[in-house]
Amino acid sequence: MDLFIAIFTGTIIAATPLIFAALGELVVEKSGVLNLGIEGMMLMGAAFAFWAVIAGLPMPVAILAGALGGAAASLLFGVLALTFLTNQYAAGLALAIFGSGVSAFLGRNFGSAPIDALKKIYIPYLSDIPVVGPMLFRFDPMVYFAIVMFFVISWFLYRTKGGLVLRTIGESPETAHAIGYPVIRIRYLAVLFGGLMAGLAGAYLSVAYTPLWVENMTAGKGWISLALVVFATWRPLRVLLGAWLFGGMTILQLQGQALGIAVPSELLSALPYLATIIVLVIISQNRQMLALHFPASLAKPFRPAT
Amino acid sequence: MFNLTRRQFLQYSGAAGAALGTTGLAGIASAQEPLKIGVVYVSPIADIGWTKQHSLGVDAIKAEFGDKVALTVIDNIFMPQDAERVFRELAASGNQLVFGTSFSHGTPMQKVAPRFPKVAFEHCSGIVHLANLGTFEAKYYEGTFVAGAAGAHMSKAGKIGFIGGFPIPDIVGPANALLLGAQSVNPDATCNAIFLNSWFDPGKEKEAANTLLSQGCDVICSMTDTATGVQVAGEGGAWSIGYASDMAKFGSGKQLTAFTLDWSSDYVGAAKGVAAGTWKPEARWDGLAGGVVKMAPYNEAIPADVITKLKQLEADIGSGKIHPYAGELKDQDGNVKVAAGSVLADADIRGMNWFVKGMIGKLG
Repeated sequence: MDLFIAIFTGTIIAATPLIFAALGELVVEKSGVLNLGIEGMMLMGAAFAFWAVIAGLPMPVAILAGALGGAAASLLFGVLALTFLTNQYAAGLALAIFGSGVSAFLGRNFGSAPIDALKKIYIPYLSDIPVVGPMLFRFDPMVYFAIVMFFVISWFLYRTKGGLVLRTIGESPETAHAIGYPVIRIRYLAVLFGGLMAGLAGAYLSVAYTPLWVENMTAGKGWISLALVVFATWRPLRVLLGAWLFGGMTILQLQGQALGIAVPSELLSALPYLATIIVLVIISQNRQMLALHFPASLAKPFRPAT
Repeated sequence: MFNLTRRQFLQYSGAAGAALGTTGLAGIASAQEPLKIGVVYVSPIADIGWTKQHSLGVDAIKAEFGDKVALTVIDNIFMPQDAERVFRELAASGNQLVFGTSFSHGTPMQKVAPRFPKVAFEHCSGIVHLANLGTFEAKYYEGTFVAGAAGAHMSKAGKIGFIGGFPIPDIVGPANALLLGAQSVNPDATCNAIFLNSWFDPGKEKEAANTLLSQGCDVICSMTDTATGVQVAGEGGAWSIGYASDMAKFGSGKQLTAFTLDWSSDYVGAAKGVAAGTWKPEARWDGLAGGVVKMAPYNEAIPADVITKLKQLEADIGSGKIHPYAGELKDQDGNVKVAAGSVLADADIRGMNWFVKGMIGKLG
């Protein structure tokens, strides 16, 4: 039972940075903009949050600093892709490389001092329930916040007028523009939101998950988040499930290795990727549904006619 | 000492070339030419870790030679295609001795070295030798053997957890020695091994450490380039063993010891050889005896008599009285690999691709 609890909680925690970053990217892509620079924005978020902690700022401020760091990086992409209408693929890749470089530069002064990680909170009474308590009620606040953000984003996209406008812009910016919506401004907001979320993901890594500074500490999680959005066919619930699936398979393969099951570790290490791809391919069989959720104007530059 | 990034290096070397063009050969006419040495690091110099330990070796050259040496250090060169260009530039710009510090620097150095026969090349963790390319490497397994003994003294469960990058001989061998050291104290000790299949992924390392803790391991040894394993073990109340650098400050007081690397003798030795004109390409492979592997200060929680035993073990391994891979050694399936009374041959140590009995894990 303890092993099961360990696998379950490990999965939830491992999925948290992916949930933040992928949900943020989902909103960006729903507005018709493709930002490939998640890895860079996450690293900026990680660096800023870590910086704030060693500067002695309280933890909530540090996490906010991380989010703002990610947003600042995304603004750079916004200016390139939305104002100057450069190729979004190129601008996004540039941001990924830029963010990695800038975070490494900032990190030169961090040393590798250990910091006090974000504390777990034991929710009173609930965390004392056998089995369920340690499974669900003993996480740090960011884990719960990621779930809250899932509900907020699902609600926003499909239950509010703002979400409808955002999705319209993603489908057909010309139409949205013709009926008077400020396409560029709304896309900017979406890109900034994506940056905030990627920044949160990075902050989670540097101050909560692995609370020490190492260069390029995201180790590819930004790219995995990007892939999750596509494989989840642009639907929030599937992003969430995909992140849990990926996190769960990662933990399971490590457990499998340590138990000494007779499969080479190289193959086990590939398992999370294989499983996520297979499951999401199977659930994406319906091409009509796919077309329905795919933002038709994705990565196409839009200049409002004057 | 210059401490340059790749880009700065390109700018500076361009500027230096221009300066040489304008001032002619005036600079070379100066009487006392410093020994020019180039060093290539695989990653930036952090506070701890692989590259940090190499930078200490370079510092030792500086301390020994003072202003009689001109060092050019270039960091963050991992990809072989980048490395080849950097090695060629270092050799072409007059360095008499060039160090590569990563296995991935091997192929580029083997390509560049023959074109600069008057330049001495030294490759850490290399396996190929040429007329002007020598190698140096550490006997990690001597360190992990002592660390394993320390772990078994302190472990209640007799279960040790090991995290490595890739299942290659340089990692598999030390993992085996870790368990053999533990079994020298507690014959029933076992070791669960996890390979990340990545040189660098702190998140996955944390998950691996948590996995080992959840399976009941109460000593964690992580042979990776971050302190994450030591940190997670400490948070989980388990003992830990650091690698490359002393990682005690990350371990919540639970780091038992660390097998640290000190390459000073390799760096200074090669520099002295080149300065005196006596340098030869060698395959240096030192451990506790040569001081390349050193045990970090033992945790105060270890009883004094145990520390005395561990120090004696260090001395005995150093003197050759105890060999970590002494027979009888059996593999996981119980086949005898080394007969009683003999030891594993050096070539077999460098190529170890099997787990000893008691290791829990599967090699491909």
